[in-house]
Amino acid sequence: MSMRDALKRRADFLALIRRFFLDQGVVEVQTPKLLKHPTTDVYIDSISCKANQDIDLTQEFFLHTSPELEMKKLLSKGSGDIYQVCSVFRDNEQGKQNTNEFTLLEYYRLGFDHHQLMDDVACLLHKLGVKAAVKKISYAQAFLQFADIDILNTDFSDLKKIAQSRGITSDFEYLEDLQIFLFTDLVEPALKQISACFIYDYPACQSALAKVAGDVAHRFELYINGVEIANGYDELQQAKDYQNCFMREINKRHALGKFSMEIDQGFLSALQPPIPQCSGVAIGIERLLSQI
Amino acid sequence: MANYSTSQFKNGLKLMLDGNPCSIISNEIRKPGKGQASNKVKFKDLITGKTLEKTFKSGESLEGADVMELDMQYLYNDGSEWNFMDPETFDQYVINDDAMDDVRGYMVEQDMCIVTLWNDNPISVTPPNHVTLEVIETDPGLKGDTAGTGGKPATMNTGIVVQVPLFISIGEKVKVDTRTNEYAGRT
Repeated sequence: MSMRDALKRRADFLALIRRFFLDQGVVEVQTPKLLKHPTTDVYIDSISCKANQDIDLTQEFFLHTSPELEMKKLLSKGSGDIYQVCSVFRDNEQGKQNTNEFTLLEYYRLGFDHHQLMDDVACLLHKLGVKAAVKKISYAQAFLQFADIDILNTDFSDLKKIAQSRGITSDFEYLEDLQIFLFTDLVEPALKQISACFIYDYPACQSALAKVAGDVAHRFELYINGVEIANGYDELQQAKDYQNCFMREINKRHALGKFSMEIDQGFLSALQPPIPQCSGVAIGIERLLSQI
Repeated sequence: MANYSTSQFKNGLKLMLDGNPCSIISNEIRKPGKGQASNKVKFKDLITGKTLEKTFKSGESLEGADVMELDMQYLYNDGSEWNFMDPETFDQYVINDDAMDDVRGYMVEQDMCIVTLWNDNPISVTPPNHVTLEVIETDPGLKGDTAGTGGKPATMNTGIVVQVPLFISIGEKVKVDTRTNEYAGRT
């Protein structure tokens, strides 16, 4: 493909995305990318930078790793349905599928649960040229079918034994880390056979910022040809739930010897009133474009 | 030997895996959105020749393998052992017959080979890409036939069988590609 054709393909792709949201009354927003607080996510590192040094007002900033929290501030202030297409920046990410900068499409739909949002993402994918029907497989079903493991009913020590018996490293300090490792090693290769599928209802210990119901978190990921493309939640609404989640992540970062940060109190106090019931998803644009 | 962490993994790096020296064929970093990175690594076991795949947590490390590849001249085979010489130091190395399984049929005296040493002991031999062998048995040649119209099996002086064009006859010397076991021309 010539340079011109490649640029045109990407531009047309973004135009289709904007058309999709325009038709549904979802409003495009831009939120700050230069933030005072790094992400607390245990395995996502913010890139830091300094500004205003020559005018003696030196300040440390962090490039956003996702527009999620800034968009949630808008949601709690009554923005309604919103989307954003922007570059995000993540430290310590290199590889065939990872770079320090990439483009995210992030969007939120009020009143949707995670299943309604999956259906909406499937509609978007079809508009963008994904022809195959997008399958839905629960996390537990995927583990059972492709790795013969009853993931929701296997505790940490038993899961370690299963890993050892299959010659897989079991040197993990957290259940969720071993689950994620086994998913990458055993389940993801099988997903290559499925052109597009949602994996949903993650174990509660992998809830991140999603609502938990019983032993599962209302969270989903989209895989196309075995490549992870998107991650969505039925979103937490209350400041105290976010506070608990951030504390848990910061404590884990500390325990793992990673850079640990202060909690972003500004974000917590901005959630007054709380975020309305909504579901949101982040979609990696370059990865999606590469798989269509 | 030093330890190597996943961030130092690269193709060709020789590491110890389950007690055997291995060479990295490919190393793919996987970083789930919400999880720790891992490295999916393909290895060649330098003793068995088999390809293995294993996933490591990023940051894990493995012991390096003391593996060297040296250019050596193949001297002779005394029935159970194969003798090689480093042409620079004139050091001679002996390789047991069982390590020669895949390459025995390509060994031609005086040819330069690559000998892989682990802890100074030879563990495998890579013959040159092309070797010249003599046909000792094949069906009679057909006059006027040209290459590319099928072929026939021919037994070489080293014991291996190679598919050759119909015009090749007993006593002729032919070039054989040691990577594919294919006929590569007359000499």
